[in-house]
This record gives sequence, structure tokens and C-alpha cells, in this order.
Amino acid sequence: MTTDVSAISAAALSPNASSGDARSQHRSFRLGDALLGLVCRGSAAIIALMLGALVLVLLTSAMPAIKQFGLGFLVSSEWRVNELERPVKDAAGHVVMEEGEVVMETIKPAFGALPVIYGTAVSSLIALVVAVPLSLGAALFLVRVAPTLRLAGPLSFLIEFLAAIPSLAYGIWGLFVLAPFLQSRVGPAIQATLENVPGLRWLFYETVTIAGKAVERPIPITGRDMLCGSLVLAIMILPIVTSVSRDVLKAVPRTQIEGTLALGATWWQSCVAMLRYGRSGLFGAVMLGLARAAGETMAITMVIGNNNQINPSPFAPAQTMASLLANEFAEASEGLHQASLLYVALVLLVMSLLFNIIARRLVVGRASPAGH
Amino acid sequence: MASARFETRRLTSDAMFVVCTACAIVIVTLLLLVSGYLVWIGAGAINLSFFRDIPTGDVANPGGMRHAIEGTVILLALAAAVGVPLGVAAGVYLSEYRHEWLFAGPLRFIADVLTGVPSIVVGILGYELFVVPVARWTSNSVSFSGYAGAAALAFIMIPIVARTTEEMLRLVPRTYREGSLALGASKAQTVLRVVLPSAFGSISTGIMLALARVAGETAPLLFTALGSRLLTRDPSEPFPSLTLQIYTYATGPYPEQKKLAWAGILVLLAILFVVNLLIRLVAARHASTRLGKS
Repeated sequence: MTTDVSAISAAALSPNASSGDARSQHRSFRLGDALLGLVCRGSAAIIALMLGALVLVLLTSAMPAIKQFGLGFLVSSEWRVNELERPVKDAAGHVVMEEGEVVMETIKPAFGALPVIYGTAVSSLIALVVAVPLSLGAALFLVRVAPTLRLAGPLSFLIEFLAAIPSLAYGIWGLFVLAPFLQSRVGPAIQATLENVPGLRWLFYETVTIAGKAVERPIPITGRDMLCGSLVLAIMILPIVTSVSRDVLKAVPRTQIEGTLALGATWWQSCVAMLRYGRSGLFGAVMLGLARAAGETMAITMVIGNNNQINPSPFAPAQTMASLLANEFAEASEGLHQASLLYVALVLLVMSLLFNIIARRLVVGRASPAGH
Repeated sequence: MASARFETRRLTSDAMFVVCTACAIVIVTLLLLVSGYLVWIGAGAINLSFFRDIPTGDVANPGGMRHAIEGTVILLALAAAVGVPLGVAAGVYLSEYRHEWLFAGPLRFIADVLTGVPSIVVGILGYELFVVPVARWTSNSVSFSGYAGAAALAFIMIPIVARTTEEMLRLVPRTYREGSLALGASKAQTVLRVVLPSAFGSISTGIMLALARVAGETAPLLFTALGSRLLTRDPSEPFPSLTLQIYTYATGPYPEQKKLAWAGILVLLAILFVVNLLIRLVAARHASTRLGKS
């Protein structure tokens, strides 16, 4: 349609041109439009292909593990890479002997994602609990106080720059600054205060089975543990949660704030009204933070301690899905181990896609400042 | 009675005002503390040898990171060569062909979702798509390569570039398009000679931002480019990158190598800071000229 109209108008604008010229121009227009359409549509299709390839490749490569373990993978906490030989024991717990030799049994490698799912969930949640209140407070400051102090510009620049700092940098800071600090100062201080409080022993002691006996032993405070991982995550998601919340709060209509103030609300009461007005967008900001925390790899790998276990104590080393992948994928032998890691990657992908979809719906759906 | 209640309300309000201010101060100091510390230690570790030398293999005197800096530059160039044209073209589709709502809407959504894919998962995809098949084809046991790394980086770049291009093109006034079409230009001419050039500045800042983002990525390269201690310019080999080298050195046991890691972080931060500053300046100039016109 457009081409027809433009070709006609081009001909009309140049009365001296012969009709043959107009026709060849018309043809070249159609060709150019078709080419541009092809290139743009093709490139756009590649975006769809990328998502398709991502899901398809992970699904097919994880298939052996999916077939073997099914959904039980998600709730099993076994993670044995190699075959294990151990003596068979009878009901009384004695080693079974036959013809003077200990009877051995072979245990096949087994894989389950529960410890890493637990690690991801708990570290992300602690990070959110630390980061979200701080971010909301700062976002309110940025929207309602900073502009009057002419601070909004510089502070926004600072926060956006900090959001761009690679996770590797936060990881190195966590590894060399935060972890030693937690190990030498914070950990011992907390232990000294809380160790004798009844009901909090699990913070500092773990029960392990050694040679068939349950032994309680103290958890060594190394600084590279769940607590450190969560704190580094919290620091990393502060900028993004703050800047998205700021955008959401900025999009609250001025009349809403003025209305509450006119009704006699105090500064804080009108802030509450703002928060309530933007609640779905703010929830989206939190989900974006969650998605970022859950998918975070380099920083968490460096500080969480990388131990595939479920331990309720924040002073115990843990493992997240992303850190498990970073640690083991390169060395995994082809076969079940690698397929299981790919299964973990698939779970991670689905989870972060879910968080992102929810977040986009909430932030873009309601509070888009550049509305259509 | 009423005045007492008013008093409490006022006190709460004042208290929360202080709390919000404190939150902002805490965040800013915390983040300044982190970046300041990185800059401080990095500044003490950096010297000319960092840019000039390649690893010596001697842990007491480990040389520099020239190979890694060059590696990152080459990886970024390769990723941009693929990612920028595809991303911009997809962005043009999302903006100029958005009347094709059946596709444009979902594609925008997919692009948004893709920007949130964890980078380690992108690395694994790169491994499965580029490393394993190539290894099978050439019957090597492993074939980590710079190409695979660049592909993983391009994967991250494309959706970002597409979405920023779209946003920037949407800011081009409708009247420009209508004027061009009314003068007899075709749609292709309108897009290529009017719409894209008038958004050129802001699109290139978007591209810079995407490049800055992938320049700091480590996870996608772990299983694709793998890293290397050689000064190689052949991307079909395992390829060095600044981030990979920093990670290896930082998690390794040798103090001299750790110093290099700090210096590397400083270089990364400096690049990011300059890019962000440039973008800020360009955006500010843009805003002021637009104001001047209207």
C-alpha cells in the first residue's frame, strides 16, 4: 500500500520524468522494501529461534537425567558423581562377612537437585530480605527528597553505574574483604552472643555420622558460607531494585501525592500512598532482583563455599544451582553427570524465566513511564 | 486528643523520613565502599607491565595481562559483528513493523525474557551448540574456541540491542516518517535514511551499553572460550579474556597473581565508568537539543 502511494506521489512530484522511469523506480522501491522486510523479519525471527534453541538444547541434552530421575530429581539430595563401594551391613548394623571376606555392594552414581535448589532459594531470599527494605527507602528518598536537594541526577548516575559493575568485581570484593571480615569479626561475635541461647545451637553445630555414630561437631566459621553469599547477593541487587523502584515511584501521578497531602496526610503517609499505588510495579522490581540473585554465578561461586549440602546454619558452606554449574560442568564426564548438570541448568532457566515474566508483566504492564 | 494523634503522626513521619534518608546513605556508602576498595587496591597493583607483558609462567613474577586485554577486545569485536546488525535489524522490526501485532508483541516479550536468562545458562548453551558439535566434527576431544565465546556473548547482546534500538526508534517523531513518505520515499528509504539516522546517537549509546555489559561477563565464557595464557589471535583456539584471567588469578593461590586480578578489575571498572559517563553525557546533550527544538 505504502509503496503504491509513494510511487505515485514520486511520479507526481517530478512531472518531467517519463512513465518508464516511474515504473523502474517503483520496482526498485518494491525490491528495497522487500529486502528490508526480509532482513528485519529474519533478525526478529532469530530472537524467537534463540529462545527455542535454548529450551530445546537443554531439554534434549538433559534427557538422560530426566528419564532416569524424573521429577524426583528436584527433591532428592543425593549427589554422588562416582560409583561407591561399601560393605553390606545387616539389620543390626554389623558388617556382613562371607567366607572370611567382607561383602561389598556397589552404589550407582545418583543425582538430585534439592541441595542446590535449597541453596538458591535461601540465599536469594536472605538477599531480598536485606536488600528490598533498603532499596525501597532509598527509592523514596530519590523520588521525594533528592530532587529538592539537586541530588537526584548524581545519585541516579552513581546507582546506574554500580548496577553495571560486573559480578566478578563483587565476587572478588566478597572473597577478599567481606569473607575475611565475617570470619574474623562478625562470625565469632555472633557466636559469642548467641551460642548459649537455648534453641540456637543449630546455628553453630552440626550433627554428622562418623563410623555409625552421630557426633555433634562445631561448624568451622570460614567466612565463605551461606551468610557471605547472601550478603554479596544483597549488595549486588541493591542498585537494580533501587533504580526500578525509583522508576515505578516516579510514574505515580503527581495528583495522587498532592491529593493525599491536601487531605492532611503527613510526608510519610503520602509515601505510603505512593507505595500502595505502585505496589504491583514494586513487586515487579523485587521479582527482577530475585531473578538476578537466583541466576547470579561468578560472585556466589567465589563466596558461598561450594558444598552440596542442606544445612540450616548460615555459617555452613552451601551451593546454588549456578555455582554448581560453574564448578562442575567443565569437569563433568559425559553421561549421567553431565546430563544431571544440564537438568539443573534447565531448572534454573525455567525458574528465572518465570521470575522475569512475572516481573515484566508487573513493571511494564502498569507503570511504564513511556506509555504507548 | 486530636492534637496528640496529630503529634504521633508527625513523629512517625519524621522518623520515617530519617529512615529513608538513612537507607539512601547506607546504599550509597556501601556501594562506594565496594567500588572504592576495588579501585584503591587495583591502583596499587597496576603498572605498565600489566598492559605490556604476557604471562611468564613464573608465579613470583607473573607478567601482565596483555593477552587477556587483546582477547577481550577481539571477543567483543566478533560478538558485536554478529550481535549489532542482528540486534538493530530486530529492533527495527519491533518498532517499524509493530503493526504486525501477531509477531511483534510476542517477539518483544521474548526479547525481554531473553535479557533475563542467567549468563551461566548461556555459557552452557554455547558449549552444547558450538563446542561439542565442533569437537565431534573435528574428532578432537575438546574444541573450546574464541568463536564459541563470541557467540555466547552475541547471544546476550542481541536482545539488549534489539530492545534499546526499538525504544530509541519509537522516540523518533511520527511526522518524520510521514514527511518522508509524503515526499515519495519508499519504506526502506524512510527507515534507512530518515528514521535510523535521526536515532543514530541514541542507538549507538545502546550498543555501547550492551558491549559494556558483555565485557564484564565471565560465566558465558567459562565453557566456551575457556581462557588461555597465550597471546593468541586465532579464535578457533581456546581464547583468553580479561574476566576469565581475573577469575583464574583471583581464585588461585599465588599473591602476585592476585595482584594482577585486582589490577584487571580496576581496568574493567575504568572502562565501564567511562562508557557510563559517555552515555550520560550523550543523553544529556540529546535531551537539551530536543528541548531547544520544541
